[in-house]
Amino acid sequence: MQVKSNDYPKESARILREEPQVRLSVTGATLSFDRNRRAAYAEVDAERWRDWAEGVKNHVLTHLDSYLEQAERTLTANGVRVHWAEDAEQAQKIVAQIARAAGVKKVVKAKTMVSEELGINPMLEGMGIEALETDLGEYIIQLLEQPPSHIVGPAIHLNLEQIRKLFHERFGTSPDATPEALASVARKLLREGFLQADMGISGGNFVVAETGTLALIENEGNIRLSTSAPRLHLALVGIEKLLPRFSDLAVFLSLTARAATGQRLGTFVSLLHGPRKASEPDGPEEVHVVFVDNGRSSVLADPQAWETLRCVRCAACLNACPVYRQTGGHAYGYVYSGPIGAVLAPGLVGLEQTQPLPYASSLCGACYEVCPVKIPIPRLLLAWRNRAVEEGMLPRFEKAAIAGYAFTMTHPGLYKLAAKALRLLPEMALDNTVLPVLKAWTQGRAGLEPSPKSFRELWEEGL
Amino acid sequence: MKERILSRVHRALEHRPKAELPEPLTPPKVSPDETLKLFQERLGGNGGEVVRLAGLEEARSWLAEFARAFSGVAVGTTLPDVLKPPLPALPPEEAPLGISWAIGAVAETGSVIVSSAEGRRLQLLPPTHLAFIPQSKVFGTLAEALAELKNQLPSAIALHSGPSKSADIGQVMVRGVHGPGRLIAAIVAEPGD
Repeated sequence: MQVKSNDYPKESARILREEPQVRLSVTGATLSFDRNRRAAYAEVDAERWRDWAEGVKNHVLTHLDSYLEQAERTLTANGVRVHWAEDAEQAQKIVAQIARAAGVKKVVKAKTMVSEELGINPMLEGMGIEALETDLGEYIIQLLEQPPSHIVGPAIHLNLEQIRKLFHERFGTSPDATPEALASVARKLLREGFLQADMGISGGNFVVAETGTLALIENEGNIRLSTSAPRLHLALVGIEKLLPRFSDLAVFLSLTARAATGQRLGTFVSLLHGPRKASEPDGPEEVHVVFVDNGRSSVLADPQAWETLRCVRCAACLNACPVYRQTGGHAYGYVYSGPIGAVLAPGLVGLEQTQPLPYASSLCGACYEVCPVKIPIPRLLLAWRNRAVEEGMLPRFEKAAIAGYAFTMTHPGLYKLAAKALRLLPEMALDNTVLPVLKAWTQGRAGLEPSPKSFRELWEEGL
Repeated sequence: MKERILSRVHRALEHRPKAELPEPLTPPKVSPDETLKLFQERLGGNGGEVVRLAGLEEARSWLAEFARAFSGVAVGTTLPDVLKPPLPALPPEEAPLGISWAIGAVAETGSVIVSSAEGRRLQLLPPTHLAFIPQSKVFGTLAEALAELKNQLPSAIALHSGPSKSADIGQVMVRGVHGPGRLIAAIVAEPGD
């Protein structure tokens, strides 16, 4: 996937100015997710669960090499073919080879963020293979040729009106069709896809090293259909997704659902152990798991950022974030957005391409408070900011501005003079003609009206 | 490719202190008296329906009545003959009703557990899914159910915790998006329950 994170400041300002419905839709959806999460956490000993989940993930990550080898053994024993991809290019090659060897013409996709990360759809289309997204939200954004704007709800930036319009134009549904009517149109089209496809591509929420279990969580049933109807199932799984014991699933499945949507469990949880057995009436004949590195081993080597690999992709931090809520995920210019995206993206693709993201936060700490595996996101945001400064990535004016500010604040005479000077500026002084460097901020905002007297002056006059 | 990934992982961990594996977390147990009530309450809360039947005989007569609303059925491979309704057999993609024999259920999450041995499509494609569950297999917690399942893992374990749903269209909850819009869990008591 093309990384456009360096445009974050401009792009977020543009979305706020030009697409005000995004903020309304995203705010509504995330606040509702977060309310549900809070209730679902309150029902259990969430603090104990989070501490425990953090501990299990830390154990897996600090023994990742041996767990990966164990997982390969158990998956293989289950009849699954295991592949390894160091980067997106290798992953694409593996998927292409498997598809070509099996004569695949049509693929159903089961909402996988790793696939977005690796650019699997464009690659398949380049081979003349149709790739149909089957999660309702993913299907909608595929029609619009947009990337997902949220890890769990990829189309949460769209409101009902926009989806009505889209379906009216594409499928001739009534302009005021109900959500049920729209969903049933999609159901019919996608049902044909499930029954015609030769291959289903999924991600993986967890892989249990002990039993070779691939665990998948969802609410619609599209993931289970994609992994059971076509004759081939291929799962793209990040190398960090392992769990040691089958019994660990009990807490991880429930904790992930509680954090993501406030459910006790996803409506459909699938625990897969390989292809159809001879005695079974249906199911895929071939199952492939591709373990994907694509930057993860470098993140693991990082003395601070490695903790981001605990992430279970529940998006609770997006839902809790007052900054994400303003723009949704597109502004972040990367497949993973919000607080976790802001710390994951620099680790996976490098700070050079993602430098503004660690600044897309007020450091309020809500992301850490809700994280089911206690990733210290605020601390990591600061760590990435420090590195950006150390590596001289910030614009030169910012350094000069900070130095100037520090000098002014430590020289009372100068401070007094500057305060007076600011108040004497004409009313529109803060528009973009005077301060072009702040254009992204000043555009679309009214100029400031300074108080006629400073606080110091008022104080001296006895307020 | 594998070797290079593993050696990078190995190098990454060279100076990292190893974290210990915490003991399994065991959530509070549900008392046997509470289990069935909790299952009914939780699956109901998820949008599913629960029926309790005193035995196979009662199940059969209940089913005869229930099945009258349907024009055909797809049944699971391990469904007892007595629970096959007098309806024309249809492939799962055409059947309005799928009936499966569950290998278990979980009270705390309101989930029905169906094995791939039963068939995968019949649990998903028909708009209505009726799952019969032996009463002795209704577990209090997911942890207990998983412990039992681990003894014999089928190629796919499916947990159904209500009807298929999505809020992807304008945040409005819609049922029956891809999978069944209706899930009925029929608990069948056996002698001794």
